Amino acid sequence: MRALIAAATGLALALALVFTITALGSPTGRTSPKPLLTTVPSHP
Amino acid sequence: MRRKASLVLLAFAVFFAALSPLLRYYAFPRLAKIPADQYQDMVLEAKGATLLDYGTMKARKVSKVTIVQTLRGNVEAAKKVEETAGRDVVVWDGLSYVQGPDGKMVSKIPERYIFDAHSQAPVHATGEMVDGDPVKRDGIEFKWPFLTQKRDYEYFDAQARTTSPIHYKGTQNFRGLKVYYFEQTIPWTRVTFPKAMPVKGITPESVAKTGTTRWYTTVRKFWVEPVTGAPVYGEEIHKEELRGGTLLGGRDKVTAFAGHVKMREDYIRHTVDLVKSNRTLVLLMTSYLPWGFLLLGALLLALSLWLEARSRRPADPEPAESSTPEPVTA
Repeated sequence: MRALIAAATGLALALALVFTITALGSPTGRTSPKPLLTTVPSHP
Repeated sequence: MRRKASLVLLAFAVFFAALSPLLRYYAFPRLAKIPADQYQDMVLEAKGATLLDYGTMKARKVSKVTIVQTLRGNVEAAKKVEETAGRDVVVWDGLSYVQGPDGKMVSKIPERYIFDAHSQAPVHATGEMVDGDPVKRDGIEFKWPFLTQKRDYEYFDAQARTTSPIHYKGTQNFRGLKVYYFEQTIPWTRVTFPKAMPVKGITPESVAKTGTTRWYTTVRKFWVEPVTGAPVYGEEIHKEELRGGTLLGGRDKVTAFAGHVKMREDYIRHTVDLVKSNRTLVLLMTSYLPWGFLLLGALLLALSLWLEARSRRPADPEPAESSTPEPVTA
């Protein structure tokens, strides 16, 4: 019985961690102010 | 189980073993996506290309034609599309700017490409366009999906405004990276004149009145890193012709552009480095961590069971924390 509880606890923690991380996602950021280029960047 | 340590180890074993498939099949598909705010530029060159001189209307060989391709993620437009699309999307505003050897513009084609941030499948929404004309993409453009497969994909051609297969043609090594080589051929196809013409005063409408038409064919080649789905190198064998009408002075056709377009070396190096680091990140979520966690879970389980077995051996002293009395045998 105690083994089952330990296993269930481990599983619950894994699910909680993964659901939290995926729910947070990643920040969307902002559109870059750099222009669409009409000049050729020089070769370094 | 009696020992507290065995139970704790068992909990951690299940924790890590469960994390393995959750990371690979739940977290990765939801977290792996193209960011909405990306900005990237690319320079390609066609050395020894043929270019139409609009002054003489004769094709001539030039030292080099340069193409600058920029893609800019439009975050505000993406948020607007997401309101109705119900999924994460990326809106790329692109410009393909072609410059002759004298630095003058040959052509300038803007695009808006809208696609699913996770699967890279095209998303149809208002604003999807090529050169200001609404289009409906039925295939990918620029970027393959994560974990690219060895199969043909549907690829959108912006000149012809059509979607057709781009064929998987084998696996190769490109500068230390395993890549899948894809090739698409667009046969001679009549295409529209670009809205921005290289000569002032000439517009697509004025050319249409002469009866002259524009035709195009290309062999498009991409070397794609399969884990990230990012092309690390690309080439195009591209030809354009003007045909018929009164503009050609009695000739049937004239070459407007012909060239073997290749990525410039500095951009190849930059792209390979970028893809190599992104590849490691993707592999972390799809392979290294899932397998690592599974192995760790198995080890912790083995340790837990071993500890427990040790605690139940009759010769070993009773663990101090055990409160369950041992059964007495007659």
